[in-house]
Amino acid sequence: MKPLDEFAREFGAHLSLETSLIVENKNRYFLLNQKLKRLVGTEDFFYAGTYLGKTKNGQFFPSFILLKIVAEKNVNKMFVDVKTAWLFICGRDIFKKGIVKVEGSKRKGAYTLVLNQYGECLGFGKILHDLDEEKGRVVVKNILDIGDFLRREK
Amino acid sequence: MSGKEFFVNRYEKLGWKYADTALKQAIRINAMNIEETSAAERLESLGIMLEKIPFLERGYWIKSKFSIGATAEYLLGYYSIQEAAAQIPATLFTQLRGKTILDACAAPGGKTVQLADLMRNSGAIIALDIEKQRLTALANHLERCGVKNTVTYLLNARNASQLKMKFDCILLDVPCSGNFTTDKEWFKRRTIEDVERNAEIQREILAEAVKVLKDNGEIVYSTCSLEPEENEFNINWALNELNLQIEKINCYGDKARTTVFGEKLDSSIADCRRIWPGNTQGFFVCKLKRA
Repeated sequence: MKPLDEFAREFGAHLSLETSLIVENKNRYFLLNQKLKRLVGTEDFFYAGTYLGKTKNGQFFPSFILLKIVAEKNVNKMFVDVKTAWLFICGRDIFKKGIVKVEGSKRKGAYTLVLNQYGECLGFGKILHDLDEEKGRVVVKNILDIGDFLRREK
Repeated sequence: MSGKEFFVNRYEKLGWKYADTALKQAIRINAMNIEETSAAERLESLGIMLEKIPFLERGYWIKSKFSIGATAEYLLGYYSIQEAAAQIPATLFTQLRGKTILDACAAPGGKTVQLADLMRNSGAIIALDIEKQRLTALANHLERCGVKNTVTYLLNARNASQLKMKFDCILLDVPCSGNFTTDKEWFKRRTIEDVERNAEIQREILAEAVKVLKDNGEIVYSTCSLEPEENEFNINWALNELNLQIEKINCYGDKARTTVFGEKLDSSIADCRRIWPGNTQGFFVCKLKRA
């Protein structure tokens, strides 16, 4: 599944999902298990199994379950402090001082997952400035965070 | 026939004296995502007060100065906000793991997620609802809680046989008239005609559910209505018309009424549970199998 693979590659990850169990429905991607695969198809389903994301206007929007799958791999990720984690969930960008640890790329333009003190994936962002060089400014632009669950229902 | 006096008189005839009830906010920890003790500790560290609900496995009454629907723990799917009585029906099935389940009136999905949690994401849940907007809310709930074993369809529960599937367990948390504890305007808005209309829809859903139930399958039927037309009378009808029998259940609540407004019903209806408002909202629940 090209959009999924391309998205994972942005973080330096290779997805190893069983492609025969991935179904596309109205530009949305779902990962099924064998039992669901046998069941799906009698009617046009709305949601099935593990939601992976959707494409809209040629752009891929990942689900939070997909981010969690990617986060389990050896990929670009950063751990942030408690205050930064909360602000990130509220849709804010990340300042250098809020970053506790970085794994993977620190380079400008790279995508990185954002994890809290417990190592839980809160979303992802784009690195705006090389992390080794910057000190005071916003260094990661918030692209998607779990606060989206609240925003999307408004 | 409507109004507070009308309904309160009915409740008195059923043996309950009306009392104003302040509903306690409750949550349920999703054990598929986090250990219960870890979740409880994290919530307490945020300043949320938790009180274990004695008749539920992973349910807590909570007190919080801020919205419990906006914590990172909530957004990560570690708990669901679910009223205490509403947590009962999903727990009444004999065995869920690996089974094929129908959640016939699923949105917004509190019980669907609870079923998935009890199944540890094994087997399959087919979840139906008739409104696309409600299915979207259900989908968000499933994604947030990391549910992996559910397929949802935009389909009326009264047409469930269109799926051409048979189910081990069927949850019928049917659309109902609700009760005054969750709706301050309830007595102003509801009439006995509403109740009877809902009861009719519920009977149609029950009849359809029987068509898609496996021979040894179980149906759990629940409403958050206090009205006997949607509860004892409907179950009495199901015993007579659908060849069902009531299974004994062990859960919070009083025995349901076997004599209602002078009419004598099947004695086994005492094995259904009627929950009057107090610790929880008003509720009715029972388990059915083929006779």
